[in-house]
Amino acid sequence: MGRLSILVEGLSKHVVTERYPYEPVEVPEGFRGKPRIDPSMCVGCGACVNACPPNALSMSDEGDYRVIKLFIGRCIFCGRCEEVCPFQAIKLSKEFELAVTDVGDLTQEVRLVMVKCAVCGKPYATLREVKRVAEALPDGLRALAYVCPQCRELMTSHYAGFARR
Amino acid sequence: MRRALEYDLISLLKSLGAEEVSEPHEGALLVRVNWRRLPGLIQGLLREVGPEGVRHSTCVGIDARPLNSSFKVLHILALDKVRKYLIVEVGVREDRVSVPSITPLMPAANWAEREAMDLLGIRFEGHPEPYRLILPDDWPEGVYPLRKDFPYNRKLSQLLKGSGRLSNEPRSFSANYLVRQEEGWVRYAAVPFGPYHPALHEPEYFEVLVEGERVIDARYRGFFVHRGMEKLAESRMTVNQIPFLAERICGICGYTHACAYCQAVEAAAGIDVPERALYIRSILLEIERLHSHLLWFGVAYHVLGFDTGFMAMWRIREEVMRVAEALTGNRKTYGMNLVGGVRRDIDVKKATLVLRMLERVEREFKEFYAHTLAMGEVVERVKEVGILTREDAAKLGAVGPHARASGLSIDVRADHPYAAYGFVDVNVAVQDSCDVLARIIVRYEEVLESIRLIREFLTGMPEGELMAEDVDIPPLRVGIGATEAPRGEDVHVVVTGGGNKVYRWRPRAPSYMNLATVPTMLKGERLANVPIIIASIDPCFSCTDHVLVVDARTGAKRVLRLSALSERGCGGWAG
Repeated sequence: MGRLSILVEGLSKHVVTERYPYEPVEVPEGFRGKPRIDPSMCVGCGACVNACPPNALSMSDEGDYRVIKLFIGRCIFCGRCEEVCPFQAIKLSKEFELAVTDVGDLTQEVRLVMVKCAVCGKPYATLREVKRVAEALPDGLRALAYVCPQCRELMTSHYAGFARR
Repeated sequence: MRRALEYDLISLLKSLGAEEVSEPHEGALLVRVNWRRLPGLIQGLLREVGPEGVRHSTCVGIDARPLNSSFKVLHILALDKVRKYLIVEVGVREDRVSVPSITPLMPAANWAEREAMDLLGIRFEGHPEPYRLILPDDWPEGVYPLRKDFPYNRKLSQLLKGSGRLSNEPRSFSANYLVRQEEGWVRYAAVPFGPYHPALHEPEYFEVLVEGERVIDARYRGFFVHRGMEKLAESRMTVNQIPFLAERICGICGYTHACAYCQAVEAAAGIDVPERALYIRSILLEIERLHSHLLWFGVAYHVLGFDTGFMAMWRIREEVMRVAEALTGNRKTYGMNLVGGVRRDIDVKKATLVLRMLERVEREFKEFYAHTLAMGEVVERVKEVGILTREDAAKLGAVGPHARASGLSIDVRADHPYAAYGFVDVNVAVQDSCDVLARIIVRYEEVLESIRLIREFLTGMPEGELMAEDVDIPPLRVGIGATEAPRGEDVHVVVTGGGNKVYRWRPRAPSYMNLATVPTMLKGERLANVPIIIASIDPCFSCTDHVLVVDARTGAKRVLRLSALSERGCGGWAG
């Protein structure tokens, strides 16, 4: 009896298999696909690098440049980078077809100019980051944004009268 | 009533030799006991509450030497009737780095103790099978990867530099078979074949010893794909990165691991998760159970040679997967959890999608199930096959649908309510015929219960925040997170560390307990029933895809793909 019903049911069902890859597949809104950094928005703060569970994002300082590197080969598409980015510079797309013939195509690099410290001359942060900070500071303190954290510490303690040098 | 039981429990534990009993968080009791008193405590507990009243969940070894202490062993015991997890903390005997084994009293502790022995070098005195479980046979003696002084990125080649060779010769898993025959004990030679072999595509296997068509004995060897996740998490990941690693423990029921981990940290740190987040977690957990059970039905039908059923089940399951994708952004690895809450909301539009899916899945699944149960050839293959008696299930620590099909009414959702399960009543499906058919019926009822629960959660979901604010995690607190995964109880134990890290993380998946019951179920069965019996516990199936057939009379061995066995049926395999 059961067999017959299954046969009837099977015949009444239309084909449910999709013809992918011959036909495109729709993915829903909010799908977590390949992430992309918008180089014009990124300030190089490194929040995404800290949050990324599989270390697909990395950050390194190369001379006068800070390099944010995204390697899709390690990415697990969790979307933590998008969530923590303060400037919405990295976003997940709907793209899921990621096969490439050259592994270099899976990497995205953003190179950002760094600022040299006004006191010691060492590069310490990206120009974009420093500008953002400077904009947020009141007039009297703005110059402090152009000093590296170590020198700033010394200056602050000096102003406050704690310097023992 | 519960309060009274709790007081009784504390005084009982004290009378059995516990030095100190405290409550680290709701639903758990931390019991400190000297190693000398440990067997007495376990024996006394078993005597007082009976073998079904206390269940060995897992055992956690901790290297506390960096904390000016010694090694510690935590036995996690589940007291389901009292709704408590007991964390029995034992310091090791320092001169020998050993504690008494409790496996002779609770066989369910067997694997967990051996795991701590392998990975931390803690000896368990009196263990009946003190052999390696996790580490390969040729791993050097005296090197324990989970100890804190072992760097996570140390390579095996670096370890061997001094000696220039492996310290142990690789042993064959079973060089000899001893089988009791009429003329006495007979020894059979065995040829090592697999688990690493070009013919085998998964490194894990069962050895089945047969005489003619009958299975005489079966052994299991696994852990060939141990990924060292605990070490990775403890050494280089932060608290909120680990949920994404936990989710990758299992390819089917990953979300339940992420939930259990987050619950453990939340419990340890005393974080109040917003109610809406708890509801969303529960909805996703039930969606996961739904697709996992439908997947299991497909696999079970396939193993029985009933491929029409397999296709039908997976067609129905596909609807669930699509909805999961729409809710979370991914079909499988949902990525929804962080410590303290969830990352995405379920709005009205998404809820409608879920309800529409539920309606279709419920109708189609019920219809198809009725058709299959009307088929004699399906029912005959599963009825009175693969018996696991209630006593054995309790003794070996079976969990989940597997235990419930053997008449044990245990379900973490009902016994230790987590997420939003405390706000609803969960009906626990129990069958007592102890065979594969019972496991099918239990899972059928659970699918329907899941559908009912999702509807109830969607109606009852309150408005509110998704994430707890000001999450602060104090160091060195212990927490237990338990969930009812589709395959059974999933336990995560976390000891928090400072600086946004965990000091110790110990996940225990349900198949860990259920796989140990397979040899018991196989004994005396026909060879043709082996695939469905193994499949009936719903192991992560692709990993247990191979059986080794040994003829007890000639000692000849052949390795078959399990699927080949299911296709060829019972025609003369041992000849």
